[in-house]
Amino acid sequence: MTLLEAHNITKRFGGLVAVNDLSLSVSEGEILGMIGPNGAGKTTAFNMISGYYQPNEGRVIFDGKDITGLRPDQVCKLGLARTFQVVKPFPQLSVLDNVLVGAYNRTNDKQEAQQKAREILDFLGMGNMTEQLAGGLSVAGRKRLEIAKVLATGPKMILLDEAMAGLRPIETDEIIELVRQISQQGVALLLVEHVMKVIMSLADRIVVIHHGEKIAEGEPQAVVQDKAVIDAYLGEEVANVAG
Amino acid sequence: METLKASPRNWLQNILADWDKTQVLVSFVILGLIALTPLFIKSPYYMGIVILTTLYIFTGISWNIVAGFSGQLLIAHISFLAFGAYTTIVLYNTYGVTPWVGIFIGGIVAGLLGVVVAFITLRYGLKMDYFALFTIALMVALKTLFLKWKFVGGAIGMGLSLSEPGFGKMIFDSKVPYLYIALGLTALGIIAQYAIYQSKMGKYFMAIREDEAAAAALGVNTSLYNTLALVIGAAMAGVGGGFYVMYVTFVEPPQVFDLGLNVEILMAAPIIGGLGSLAGPVLGGILNKPLAELIRGLLAGGRSGSTLIVYGSFLILAILFMPRGVTGVLHGFYLKWQRRKTGNKQEG
Repeated sequence: MTLLEAHNITKRFGGLVAVNDLSLSVSEGEILGMIGPNGAGKTTAFNMISGYYQPNEGRVIFDGKDITGLRPDQVCKLGLARTFQVVKPFPQLSVLDNVLVGAYNRTNDKQEAQQKAREILDFLGMGNMTEQLAGGLSVAGRKRLEIAKVLATGPKMILLDEAMAGLRPIETDEIIELVRQISQQGVALLLVEHVMKVIMSLADRIVVIHHGEKIAEGEPQAVVQDKAVIDAYLGEEVANVAG
Repeated sequence: METLKASPRNWLQNILADWDKTQVLVSFVILGLIALTPLFIKSPYYMGIVILTTLYIFTGISWNIVAGFSGQLLIAHISFLAFGAYTTIVLYNTYGVTPWVGIFIGGIVAGLLGVVVAFITLRYGLKMDYFALFTIALMVALKTLFLKWKFVGGAIGMGLSLSEPGFGKMIFDSKVPYLYIALGLTALGIIAQYAIYQSKMGKYFMAIREDEAAAAALGVNTSLYNTLALVIGAAMAGVGGGFYVMYVTFVEPPQVFDLGLNVEILMAAPIIGGLGSLAGPVLGGILNKPLAELIRGLLAGGRSGSTLIVYGSFLILAILFMPRGVTGVLHGFYLKWQRRKTGNKQEG
């Protein structure tokens, strides 16, 4: 069953068309990868889906409801949560309190929220950092915290905006494994990622965006062999390696 | 018997193991010490300083919740205090309403002004420096309005209709009862501040302060919670204003719509003590008013304005050398002490 549908969404900034007539859909439990060169409009598309930008045209349907024009917190309440490309921890709050803010999305009870937050931190292997200030975490720790916070909101679907950027290979592998486990719990994911290894090992399907438009869509193996995708984004070498 | 003996000690240990609870304990110990001052201080002049010190802790808490917890750059918070003061004195003078009720109605009226401020600033997307400027502009506009408004005394201001002292009228011969009223309010303020800090609402306030976009992404209705913080802070300032007017027995527009008093009565205590911390308003408050009075006492005979220069310089130095306030400095010692304690345990 389709969980998320974007119908012909368009975003213009003055004369610049950042995203043009983009349509995509994600089924329940599916992982959709979104790739494309810098400035292709991936993050803009992301911001429209998650309520940060209002599309100039088009509609976004999530879980059978029209969420076009809803505020980010309303979108999150419905079960669609996002992370940020530039991670946004609450630096002066403890790691536990950071996740607690997410956990309060589904409950008003302090005990229940704290228990949920601790469970999620244990799941992410951060159980021993709960009292530390989030501002003192390493890059890898901040990326994990970002995922912990959205998980705590109890989402049906997570939008991950470059969750692996800037990580070392071994850290990337750990996050890939985590995302896989999250997916196995039935949570759908939309991944925006530059690291092709991540996309190839996780995504069920891929959409490729270039100049704000979708230029390809399909199975990962097929998409990386696509002539238009290779010209616009990957180049010959990556296509050969990935293929 | 042993458990009975041990329990108070455990109770203390539980509190000291938690920095937030320790701050509340420190706050109450200081309030307790203030409560003992009438035993030593007989001079009405010094008693007056103690009373205003206590009141400025309470009003400092009201600003700490808005500016410290939710991070809104609310400069002219004093408009809310002024609304509380005017409401209380008008209700008493004109309608004979007892101040015991009047100061809380003053809180409600100030809270309503908070709703209006929140609505306008959210409607027009005024944030940070624009929000700060709006609150200052509003204060100036309200001052002009009150200067022209005959019903509340206009430019002449309004003095409390003093009659026979009486508990019901909150008018006393001695200064000591005023101190205990201020202490009662401040104790409630400290408890309310801690309850908010620990609650879902408090965590949401702080999430907004740290990063508004990230908070929204986690399901926080940022408009609603910004408004809540503002209204709670405004209402508390209104209650403080109500007590303030009962104590000083007089109010006029240039006195209460004034940025100088705004800094002294609302902002100085949390800033010196540590903005956003639980003990900040108390630890800053016990330095703020006594120091301001000391400077005034030493320099008032000299060139006019020199008092403010010295007081202002003191605030700047406090910000420079204690960016996280007195509480921040104490927290450093506390962490060292905790580390030594756990270190000893591991050895033993």
